[in-house]
Amino acid sequence: MTLPVEHILEMQGISKAFPGVQALDKTDLFVRKGSIHGLVGENGAGKSTIIKVLAGIYTRDEGTVSINGAACDALAPAVVHEAGVRFIHQELHLVPYFTVAESVFMGQEQHGVLGLAGRRMRRRAEQFLKESLNCELDGKALIRTLSPAEKKLVQIARALIDDKARLVIFDEPTAPLASGETEQVFKAIRRLKERGISMIYVSHYLGEITDLCDEVTVFRNGATVAQLNRVDANSTQTIIHNMVGRDIDALYPEKKHSDGARMFSVSALGDNSRFFNVDLNISAGEVLGVAGLIGSGREEFIDTLYGLRRAEAGDMQFDGRELKLKSPADAVANGIVLVPRDRRNDGLVLNMSVGDNINLASLDEVAWARMEKRGLSLKRANELSEQIDIRPRNPKAITRFLSGGNQQKVVLARWLATQSKLFILDEPTVGVDIGAKVEIYQLIKELAANGAAVIVSSSDPQEMLGLCHRIMVMYRGEVVEDTPIDAIDFDSLLALSTSGARVASTA
Amino acid sequence: MSGTNSVSRPALFSAGALFSAAPLIIFIVLLIYLGISAPNLTDPATINLILKQSVPTVVVCLGLATVVVAGGDDVVSGGIDLSIPATAIICAGILADQLTNHGSPLWSAIALAAVAAVTMGVLNAVLVVAIGMTPLLATLASSVAAVGVTKVITSSRRINVDHPFVIYIRDANVAGVPSAVLIAAVFVLLFCFAVHRTRWGMQLQAVGGSRDAAEVSGIKTSSLVAQSFFIAALAGFLASFFVLARGSGSTPGSEENLLLEMVLATFLGAAFSPRRIVTVWGAVLGAVLVTALSVGFKSIGVNVFWTGCIKGTLILIVVASAAYSGRAQS
Repeated sequence: MTLPVEHILEMQGISKAFPGVQALDKTDLFVRKGSIHGLVGENGAGKSTIIKVLAGIYTRDEGTVSINGAACDALAPAVVHEAGVRFIHQELHLVPYFTVAESVFMGQEQHGVLGLAGRRMRRRAEQFLKESLNCELDGKALIRTLSPAEKKLVQIARALIDDKARLVIFDEPTAPLASGETEQVFKAIRRLKERGISMIYVSHYLGEITDLCDEVTVFRNGATVAQLNRVDANSTQTIIHNMVGRDIDALYPEKKHSDGARMFSVSALGDNSRFFNVDLNISAGEVLGVAGLIGSGREEFIDTLYGLRRAEAGDMQFDGRELKLKSPADAVANGIVLVPRDRRNDGLVLNMSVGDNINLASLDEVAWARMEKRGLSLKRANELSEQIDIRPRNPKAITRFLSGGNQQKVVLARWLATQSKLFILDEPTVGVDIGAKVEIYQLIKELAANGAAVIVSSSDPQEMLGLCHRIMVMYRGEVVEDTPIDAIDFDSLLALSTSGARVASTA
Repeated sequence: MSGTNSVSRPALFSAGALFSAAPLIIFIVLLIYLGISAPNLTDPATINLILKQSVPTVVVCLGLATVVVAGGDDVVSGGIDLSIPATAIICAGILADQLTNHGSPLWSAIALAAVAAVTMGVLNAVLVVAIGMTPLLATLASSVAAVGVTKVITSSRRINVDHPFVIYIRDANVAGVPSAVLIAAVFVLLFCFAVHRTRWGMQLQAVGGSRDAAEVSGIKTSSLVAQSFFIAALAGFLASFFVLARGSGSTPGSEENLLLEMVLATFLGAAFSPRRIVTVWGAVLGAVLVTALSVGFKSIGVNVFWTGCIKGTLILIVVASAAYSGRAQS
């Protein structure tokens, strides 16, 4: 037997259930004193739940927690704070017009006899940033003049300025940063480790995990499936294997791709901030997947294709013509359609009927002299809802009361009605149950078979692999891979998205 | 990328910067025009008059600035309190009615007025913080109610007041400076200190800057927002004495002009601040300039209705510019 390891945090046998979901099932998390502890798992694996249990936001159903050797029966935000646990949220929570010093001392302002001790706070903030976070900043600089990495460091400084922190939990600290900027944050985190602070590091970027962490816990479906006490570059394979641990279901329609004519191409597209130098080619009848984590620039890139964001560099060709998009209306006029990721807000008028929503983008075709032909529009809505099986089969039903999957089908039906040639589907099956997913996949296949080009942007690797003919992967604003589907597998797709490189296969 | 950054300001000649500076530029142009057309505008006596005339606006602006600092300067969803002038008018109405019609002693009149002000503060705080109404709508509603009550109290008539206390505020000078100006200066210093130089004030600014950021920093945000409405009502109460003194009594309908000038001055004040945010001292400066404009127009014989049109247009420009820079920042 080895000597007992000294832990700053021991969470043992933690369970937490929500109605219908066992979010955590006898989960363990042990963090060694003075280490950086990586916490990984797919979306929904229970990472955020256990962090919220630790923060005292959720009450655990069972299990024991001890912080720094002292058992904590009831966890509440104040208790946890008092024990020296600090949380660095994913959101920055900074005021753009505050100075660095004001931001660092927000909520714990220092007071002198004659009001605020401005100079003292400024010096202390500058000193703390330099000594503890390895970052030289002017205490008087306004937040809005800082780089994203510097903002992150200011946020970290705010959590640690009282010098009482013993365990710091980082939730995806590098998500908003471009690849060049992460190093600054890593340096700060390593400096904190030198100063004896223990850390939990939650991230989807496995490259960062293996780079930074001393030990790793892997969650899957609310349970601890692996605890790695030593981490090196070769651990990525083990981590991915443990994260996934299941087979890809036979959900997806058979893929047939005939080489059609070049439909749409993009070269060297960039917005100078979130994505750079992106090339994309798609032909008629093809389904192209764009993969990448949140923050990889994928969403911004997709928005640009649709005219929602302005490109700063590069150009687009559609059907042999140069394409300049100023707004989504331009895109629709050119025969490009987007099914947005936030369909409830961006895609549907929830208080309108299903039929009206379906006809919204093609009113001209059901109208005579700008007046809607009621009978014709209802007939079309009926046909389309039958074609893609929207339930209830009633074009007069109010869209709000449909399930998520059926709402998504309404959005798709609308664009089917426009006879468009290029479809951009952003997270087409988020919040959709498995049955509806299959129908949506079928629909996408039909779109392609009818000669449309379909771009699917998704954060679900299985969906990408099952659906697409070709996949391009974005990582930190750049395309790191563009490959036919049979030259990529699940592990390499996950590795590309999370670390920007394929992992040498051990199989 | 990293290293030391100095406080940077928006580029001087970009279209956006020009638009956000538009209110200030228009204002300066107008003041220069008035300075030329009405040369006596810069006489010490005229300046004294302008300062004295500006006092009620300055004091209500203290309240509005506090609410905007705590609620954020988004013109629609941020902090705003349109009911401060109505609070001032209802307090002035009660004071006038008590002192002149009922012959009550000063202290009891003041106590009754204070009760009305506290009621307004509590009403607004409850509507906004507890019920969650938009400040714009909540305070508009309470303002209409307060004006209605004032009309009931005063029977919608003018009530003259010749109480020595009011006469003192109206007429007395200390070392050549009107007493009203001196008293108001004390209030201004108090508010500036509280909002910009104390821990409480910094937390108020944090809440207005980002409710979430303040929340995760352990600041009691709801309580601070409620307090800001309370302080706004206090400002309305304090302003009522100067309203009475300026008009030698209470006059129905005088809240309209006060409201116009208060909103104009407070948001104009943001243009003076290097960070382009609403500040107490900016609002005070704005209030004095707005009064200078009114006095100037009067002295060159501009029709009073035209003055209203010009002020209305200015409000539009100031608020549009605030909305524009708010959008550019986010």
